[in-house]
Amino acid sequence: MLRCLLILLGMGFSAFSCLAADIRIAVDADPISLDPHEQLSEAGIQYSHAVFDPLVRWRQNGTLEPRLAQSWQMLDANTMRIQLRNDVQFHSGNRMTADDVLFTVERLKGSVDFKALFNVVQNVDKIDDYTVDIHTTHTYPLLLNILAYVFVMDKGFYEGQAEVVKFGQTFASSNVSGSGPFLVKERIAGQRLVLQRNPHYWDQTSPGNVQNMEWLPIRSDSTRLAALLTGDVDAISPVAPIDIARVQRTPDIQLLSMTGTRIVMLQLNQSRRKELQHPKVRQAMSLAINQSLIVEKILRGYGEAAGQLSATAFAGHISDLMPQYDIEQAKQLMAEAGYKEGFRITMMAPNNRYMSDEKVAQAAAAMLEKINIKVDLKTFPKAQYFQLFDQRAADVMMLGWQSDTFDSNNIFEFTLACRDLKTGLGTYNAGEFCDPLVEQGVRLANREMQPKQRERILQGIEHHTAKEALVIPLYWQPIIWATKRSVQLEGVLNFLNFPYWGDLKVSEGIHG
Amino acid sequence: MSLLHRPHVSPEHVTRVRHLLMAIRGDKLALFALLIFVFYCLVALLAPLLSPYDVNSTDFMDLENAELAPYWQTGDSRFLLGTDTQGRDLLSVILYGTRLSLTIGVCAVLIQVLLGVSIGLLSGYIGGRLDAFLMRVADIQLSFSTMMVAIVVLAIFQTMFGNAAYQQLAMLMLILVLGIAEWPIFARTVRACVFAEKEKEYVDAARILGVSKLHIMLRHILPNTVSPILVILTIQIANAIVAEAALSFLGLGMPPSQPSLGALISSGFNYLFSGAWWISVFPSVTLILLIFVMNLLGDWLRDHLNPQEIRG
Amino acid sequence: MVSFIGRRLCQALFVLLIISVVSFIIQDNLGDPVRQMVGQSVSLQERAALQQELGLNDPLLQQYGRFLMGALQGDLGMSYYYKQPTLDVIVSRLPATLELSFCALLLVIILATPLGVIAAIHPKSLLSRAVLFISTLGLSIPIFIVAVFLMYFFAIEWRVLPSFGRGETTSFLGLWQTGLFNQDGLRHLLLPSFSLAFVLTPIFIRLIRAEMQDVLQSDFIRYAWSKGISAPRIYFLHALKNTMLPVITVGGIQAGTLVAYTILTESIFQWPGMGLLFMEAVTRVDVPLISAYLMVVGVIFVVTNTLVDVVYSMVNPRVRIPGYSA
Repeated sequence: MLRCLLILLGMGFSAFSCLAADIRIAVDADPISLDPHEQLSEAGIQYSHAVFDPLVRWRQNGTLEPRLAQSWQMLDANTMRIQLRNDVQFHSGNRMTADDVLFTVERLKGSVDFKALFNVVQNVDKIDDYTVDIHTTHTYPLLLNILAYVFVMDKGFYEGQAEVVKFGQTFASSNVSGSGPFLVKERIAGQRLVLQRNPHYWDQTSPGNVQNMEWLPIRSDSTRLAALLTGDVDAISPVAPIDIARVQRTPDIQLLSMTGTRIVMLQLNQSRRKELQHPKVRQAMSLAINQSLIVEKILRGYGEAAGQLSATAFAGHISDLMPQYDIEQAKQLMAEAGYKEGFRITMMAPNNRYMSDEKVAQAAAAMLEKINIKVDLKTFPKAQYFQLFDQRAADVMMLGWQSDTFDSNNIFEFTLACRDLKTGLGTYNAGEFCDPLVEQGVRLANREMQPKQRERILQGIEHHTAKEALVIPLYWQPIIWATKRSVQLEGVLNFLNFPYWGDLKVSEGIHG
Repeated sequence: MSLLHRPHVSPEHVTRVRHLLMAIRGDKLALFALLIFVFYCLVALLAPLLSPYDVNSTDFMDLENAELAPYWQTGDSRFLLGTDTQGRDLLSVILYGTRLSLTIGVCAVLIQVLLGVSIGLLSGYIGGRLDAFLMRVADIQLSFSTMMVAIVVLAIFQTMFGNAAYQQLAMLMLILVLGIAEWPIFARTVRACVFAEKEKEYVDAARILGVSKLHIMLRHILPNTVSPILVILTIQIANAIVAEAALSFLGLGMPPSQPSLGALISSGFNYLFSGAWWISVFPSVTLILLIFVMNLLGDWLRDHLNPQEIRG
Repeated sequence: MVSFIGRRLCQALFVLLIISVVSFIIQDNLGDPVRQMVGQSVSLQERAALQQELGLNDPLLQQYGRFLMGALQGDLGMSYYYKQPTLDVIVSRLPATLELSFCALLLVIILATPLGVIAAIHPKSLLSRAVLFISTLGLSIPIFIVAVFLMYFFAIEWRVLPSFGRGETTSFLGLWQTGLFNQDGLRHLLLPSFSLAFVLTPIFIRLIRAEMQDVLQSDFIRYAWSKGISAPRIYFLHALKNTMLPVITVGGIQAGTLVAYTILTESIFQWPGMGLLFMEAVTRVDVPLISAYLMVVGVIFVVTNTLVDVVYSMVNPRVRIPGYSA
């Protein structure tokens, strides 16, 4: 079938459908640039998977599979040897070699968004054309995880004009040569991105049959849904929870959802309010919030109520740590802490960042009022919200955190650790506490290579956080797609929400 | 014409009101519109008494009750018009929303009248350079539509008062923005009126008799502007309510915790496609009906007060 | 007349200066642009460095000076998001908005002119009362309600029209991308332009009716009657001609309203025009783009108004130019 497709392409035909399909997808945001290193965002990584290939990538079961890296092994505690594929060709026609990997990692280390992840990489040595050694500054258990971000770029194509600039036009932001399943045909920022199948793709076993793919950013949830319902597009994401019922009622449309790893939580600022320093008050607040009800009513049962920060797939996850809800006990704890009459607190939440964020915040505020905590809630568009977040402008802040390394420790480092302006640790700790136990655990987990031992450390942090109610976890945000029935998205979607478009199968030619 | 042709306006006022009352009794449509409008005003005034639930109580918002359909679909007699996504009783929310919308509309227009009348009187009576300047400002301000001005000004307000205070002050800001943005409409009308009156003999006579300028303006000219102001007033309140709704639609209006009709409608739109039509349809109908009767009344007033239409 | 125009130009410049100050002030207050452009794990230091690079830490007056100097040279800055000169971005979206407004206005003219005339000729007749009643009703329905319900029924329930965007566009003389010359583009135009027309038509019906009634009572129409000119000729030629001038003038002043309405319509239908661009720029905190939009819209307003003023005063000498004739 693929061969048939290739031949046809070679002949310059594309109208005839040899099971080849065209698909249009509408998402909430488009990649801001053609340069994969310009911004670490969901849209950016989705795009990278379509146009580039990573060294390794996540399987649906949470393990990593070889892509451009054929195999890997640890030479010593700080060195990993990687064997590269030797049959990969970039869109420009250049062959991929070890030099391209060196070039890419160097570029990542210079990118504002990625350098935090790649600081740990000391340097990369070329052994031969298809072998490299990666040296880390210290023992680092998550090296393989970050290699999933190494989308190898074409050195021959970019060299000499490879600068990464955040605000400005660069060669890389409007020209692209990757090794991925799709070529970029056209891009109008904010309007559409048109991709075309790469006829020389190295992965001959890929089941994908999408010939042309068009990405349309549509910001408004209801307009995006309308586009799918009217048949203007074939797949959309995200689907607002409120629209799920509507999607399910529509016969030729299917809904695809899975629990993601983004944890949405409330942070209780202990340095702004002395009341919140009292563990009993925090526990009471935690008990007063009914996570399951929020998930059931606001997220329509999608997503998962959380009693901890680590998603099921993460090492730190504790399977029997469930969200607690007990209003009577909460009232009692408040009384014990000496706040029977309650108090007023301020709370802020974004209104266009996380799924139904504003409604969740309102619901949580209403729940806190039941234990006499009067909440002055304000919600802001994300542009203003995160500025306020940095200023720690309210007693309670809402935050959703997606671990970039798909590991618990990334959550702990950013949201629980003591704030350290130099290292960036605790940047998102809007609780403004500094807990020595957490601090120690985070440091240990970053160097511990023994998986079992490491898991114990991470779970220890998780236990401690729950016991002290340092933050109030709410839920793991769901990943929700809706597609026409012909689009077999389930085969390529994963809990990271990085669909591998190259492998997507569409059962009949949709647009002819 | 006698000198005393115009100075005493009050008797004419009484007859004018009587004339209006007589006329409206004959016009069924206008009477009907008036009744509905009075009903709305009563609802707005008495919302706390009429509303089935206390919107300020902590029990009012209960997720357990979220998105219940209206009574006749569910048989749930607790919520006549159903509930919104936060489990709030829709009827109560609409009652309070109407109160808020009307308050914002009326207060905004009061500011318009206050500004417009003072500037119009000043401009018309003093004339000359001041008049040219003020009317130019009015022209320019009118040329930027209220919406545009509101969008920009609200963004600036947001920072002037600090983000923390913004949502508490949202109502005040909406009133101020809508009030200040549309004063020229009144100012022009009043000015035109003043110009018309100024030429009349009784004003000359008063001046000759040594009556002060201020006195002439307030006692003799101002009363004559009442009719045109009344006509514009009704329409302007309706416009202000619609503008507030549109601003809420763009996310610049009332916060969701304290929804006006516009905020209710825009939050309800998200649920339209998913089948929960009542959340947007009931507030929409409430808003449209309110605006409609106000426009009808405005039209009717214009026809019956028949002020000369004067463009500035 | 020359000094009148000169005066108007000075005023226009002054207004633009005010707009520039306003659009500059909002720059600081719409959120942090750097925040929007970086991933979550970028440290405060890195962000601070970026802010420095963008010149966000310079004294305000200096930033304003830079802004104004650029503006004078036609440089309104680079859009953070599009990474292109803001003016280019806006100009590239202009055709979409112009086409939308043009089609809406066309619909308005087609609908409003006959209805307005009819309502003026026989104000007491049932038909004209119905027209008036319906136009009042139309006036009372906010545009966003109209647009959302149109979309709900035509696109979602009945699936006869597309719900968003501009559809296919073709290049017109290499000057701009137009949706007017192919079926797909036209189908996409229908709902948005109808929504716009829906709210504008009642305004114009009433305007035309009021002007027409004035004109019908004027001496020269009475004179025409006495000369025995036929009724249709009087109504649709002589009277209408004299009605249209004030209507167009007021219509010109309504340009601001039109811009505001296009913001609403474009956001609902994801119409890739200037209004949507503006709303998106606000959520993306693309500050240079926001200021540039305000400047451009300001220029458009000021120019239309000055033109309307000048044309009106030339055509209709009865209009007194304030400050000139006593």
